[in-house]
Amino acid sequence: MVSTIGRIVIEYIRWIKEVVFLFFDILYWLFIGPFKGKLAKRQGILQQMVFVGIRSIVIVFFVDIFTGIVLAMQTAYQLEKMGATLYVASLVAISLCRELSPVLTALVVAGRAGSAIAAELGTMKVTEQIEALDIMAINPVRFLAVPRFLALLWMLPALTILGNLAGILGGYIVGTGSLNINPDLYMQTTFKYLELKDIYTGLIKSFVFGIIIALISCYEGLNTKGGAEGVGRATTRSVVTSFILIILTDCIITAFFYFSNS
Amino acid sequence: MNQKEQVKLPIISLHHVTKVFQGKKVIDDVSLDIYPGETFVIMGCSGSGKSTLLRLMTGAIKPDEGNVKIKDKDIAKMSVDELDEVRKSFGMLFQYSALLDSLSVEENIALPLKEHTKLADEIIKIIIKLKLSLVGLRGFEHYYPSQISGGMRKRVGLARAIALDPDIVFYDEPTSGLDPVVGGVIDKLIKDLSAKLMITSVVVTHDMQSVFEIADRIAMVHKGAVVEIGTAGQIRDSKNPFIEQFIHGSPEGPINFFKEDIGAPLF
Repeated sequence: MVSTIGRIVIEYIRWIKEVVFLFFDILYWLFIGPFKGKLAKRQGILQQMVFVGIRSIVIVFFVDIFTGIVLAMQTAYQLEKMGATLYVASLVAISLCRELSPVLTALVVAGRAGSAIAAELGTMKVTEQIEALDIMAINPVRFLAVPRFLALLWMLPALTILGNLAGILGGYIVGTGSLNINPDLYMQTTFKYLELKDIYTGLIKSFVFGIIIALISCYEGLNTKGGAEGVGRATTRSVVTSFILIILTDCIITAFFYFSNS
Repeated sequence: MNQKEQVKLPIISLHHVTKVFQGKKVIDDVSLDIYPGETFVIMGCSGSGKSTLLRLMTGAIKPDEGNVKIKDKDIAKMSVDELDEVRKSFGMLFQYSALLDSLSVEENIALPLKEHTKLADEIIKIIIKLKLSLVGLRGFEHYYPSQISGGMRKRVGLARAIALDPDIVFYDEPTSGLDPVVGGVIDKLIKDLSAKLMITSVVVTHDMQSVFEIADRIAMVHKGAVVEIGTAGQIRDSKNPFIEQFIHGSPEGPINFFKEDIGAPLF
């Protein structure tokens, strides 16, 4: 019993160590590698940005607009009792920008792009393509992980901004359509209470989530073992681990901002 | 005399190499020398450790004991940069070609050229055409690996392996999974490359037809140890029971899977 727990703990520590190591490896190729004349390929980064970012636009838009709609309806139900339905506008905007849009966008991207990255790199691993890169003296982290890391780092905050707008639009539809709030008044209330700080705390979160998704999916992909089954396992693990870590860090970052304010 | 001695210096040298995986000795005290320009074949049954030997030579894994020297430099003691430098003089043909799926035939062959040379794109294009015609695949530049057959993939893999004009080419089961005709084509390519370009070839295989077709020297490996090393002629005439059984593919003899693996006869 004790030995089993011990083994699990050791496994986790090893896993954390390796993920952190991968992070430093990526940072090395980002900041020190270029001075040795070994740049990441611009074309590869653009390709990944299109895959991670552009192709996720539709799904992020729909997830966030419906969240905005649901949020508006749920809060209106309570605010109506106090005759304060107008504040649906600011409530939707603030809770989306600070919390829901970064987290939901990250979850969508982890499920869509993170799993694809893990599956692609995992397949490359089990078909010896990673080893082939090694033999050709091409570092797999520089060649494969760095472009994906950069793409996620920039595209996730960008998608989050899109999600913010989509969510506010969702709230606007409910507010003006069903709650009979004057459209101008709705927008005024939104921007009166929404501060720049609300937006950037959300963006800081999505920045961190981008790092998490990239690290986990690249790590699981590059460390895949055992054929097609292994690729499936790596994909599942990358999604599950990313989800848990996204929620966990969200909690930590929110607590940090909450207590540093008071 | 002097010149002859120079030729005699081994390009790859394994010295009492041992490798242990999960408590099991996969490679057991192997010593062998491979000389420039020769085609050296490592043959043995599946699981005999011959692919592990190849990976020890390419530096993909490090020996637990002994040392592996490439051009007189110990591969285990090299820094990452030094190892990369040595690897630029390597080419490797993988068992399943290991072409990058996301890149076209042309881009696959261009990859090492673009990464390690400063050649202009036009020149790289010419080199690609040259290498592709060497393996008989001109005109397939824009196909993707998934669009061509296994034999063609192998030939593209070979074109990629020789893109940087390497000194040493490693072949991991070059003819396995191919029909006899394509297998023969690959064998001929291996022979041509070492004859025309003085490339040292290290071939891991258990395809007996191909072994005697291409080999200058042969090492027979069994259970991680070298049973015998000799020229193709010596091995063919060897009275060693391991080699006789292997060449004739007979189930009876000293190589006995069932007994060794489960400790008791299966039947």
